[in-house]
Amino acid sequence: MTYKHRSSAAPEHQEISALIPWYVNGSIGEHERQRVDAHLILCACCRDDLAQERRVYQGMTAETAVEYMPAISLKRLQARLDGVVAAASADVQVDVPAAAKPARRWMPWQGLMAASVAVMAVALSLLAADRWMQFRARASAPNYYTVTTSTAHAPGEVIRAVFSPAITLVELQAILDEAQLRIISGPTEAGVYSLAANSPRPVSSSLALLRGHAKVRFAESTQPSLGPGDRP
Amino acid sequence: MTVLAKNSAKEHDTALLVAVAAGNRQALEELYLSYHRRLARFLSRFTPRYENVEEIINDTFMVVWQSAKDFRYASQVSTWIIGIAYRTALKSLRRQKNHNAAQNLDDYPEQTVDPTIETEVQDWLRRGLNQLPVEQRLTLELAYNMGHSMEEIAAITECPVGTVKARMFHAREKLRQYLPTLSGAAPEMSARSE
Repeated sequence: MTYKHRSSAAPEHQEISALIPWYVNGSIGEHERQRVDAHLILCACCRDDLAQERRVYQGMTAETAVEYMPAISLKRLQARLDGVVAAASADVQVDVPAAAKPARRWMPWQGLMAASVAVMAVALSLLAADRWMQFRARASAPNYYTVTTSTAHAPGEVIRAVFSPAITLVELQAILDEAQLRIISGPTEAGVYSLAANSPRPVSSSLALLRGHAKVRFAESTQPSLGPGDRP
Repeated sequence: MTVLAKNSAKEHDTALLVAVAAGNRQALEELYLSYHRRLARFLSRFTPRYENVEEIINDTFMVVWQSAKDFRYASQVSTWIIGIAYRTALKSLRRQKNHNAAQNLDDYPEQTVDPTIETEVQDWLRRGLNQLPVEQRLTLELAYNMGHSMEEIAAITECPVGTVKARMFHAREKLRQYLPTLSGAAPEMSARSE
């Protein structure tokens, strides 16, 4: 069949053309098969169409190399059915007295299925809510922290600092004396010390001194609005 | 299959489904085994991963098990079962498409077609089929892969016969654009596009 042919095609031609796939797969009725046969004698376009459809058909019906193993799949289906039966039985035991149980197990399917689905839905909702709460808890209180993690400030804390692990107590005390700071808490697990000021010296000055020392790994004001010479 | 054998198969299917409706698991298993191969063969053309094929088949037979008692035998048992598989597959394919997880058959040529019969025509065909909308491809597969009649496809897909014809028409038209080698005569193909 060509487009040119189709544009001037008679309804009979279009009808026959539409039947070709079922003529090819052999599912067409005897009467229609005879109609197609008669038309094919006269119509070269439909003969071409038929040849093409046969190639498509042969291509699509080519045997697949993969052989499936239905027995394994069937076992999985049986397990699913067993699960449904078990759930249904559990519901029956809860809801129905033994004497009132139907003799044929397939009778209560619809109701029991709905009940078991409802129970599963409730359980899933509770599980989801629980997981959500856990997620929220984790999100609000991470199980890690950094030296800049915001935590409650110790009273009087102006600086947080981390010193070299190799620093001696004498060296630490000397740095703190020079910066006019004192330890008010720490070190934390991350090695962070909370420092308070011992004098009216500007925090920025103490901070600069700490940062200039080789054995100070990190020093930061806990009062971000502080500027040079400012004091809380 | 002869008419006699077909009728016998239909009667056997009907007897099995009646037993399934009465809660006979053994009948369900027999029905499952008798349909597994053709359903797997049909479905594997869309989802080459066997896990997906098995899931669709098992979902189908869960529905068969649960709904057998509601079947009124107005249509053939095979049409009913394949209809359930069709709708299950359609849902699965749309879900895969939505999640961009649909597997392209081109990714699995060695798994879907016997390499000994792999030809250029089949390569074109596979590519062409992959370009068709799901409903059109399913219609073509139901006809050519499963051998269903127009009326059976209408029953399986729960569509009017006219819709089946239209889907088949459009599928064939699109395939022609993708399958130049199928004409067997290049000059004619170029004449077609004029």
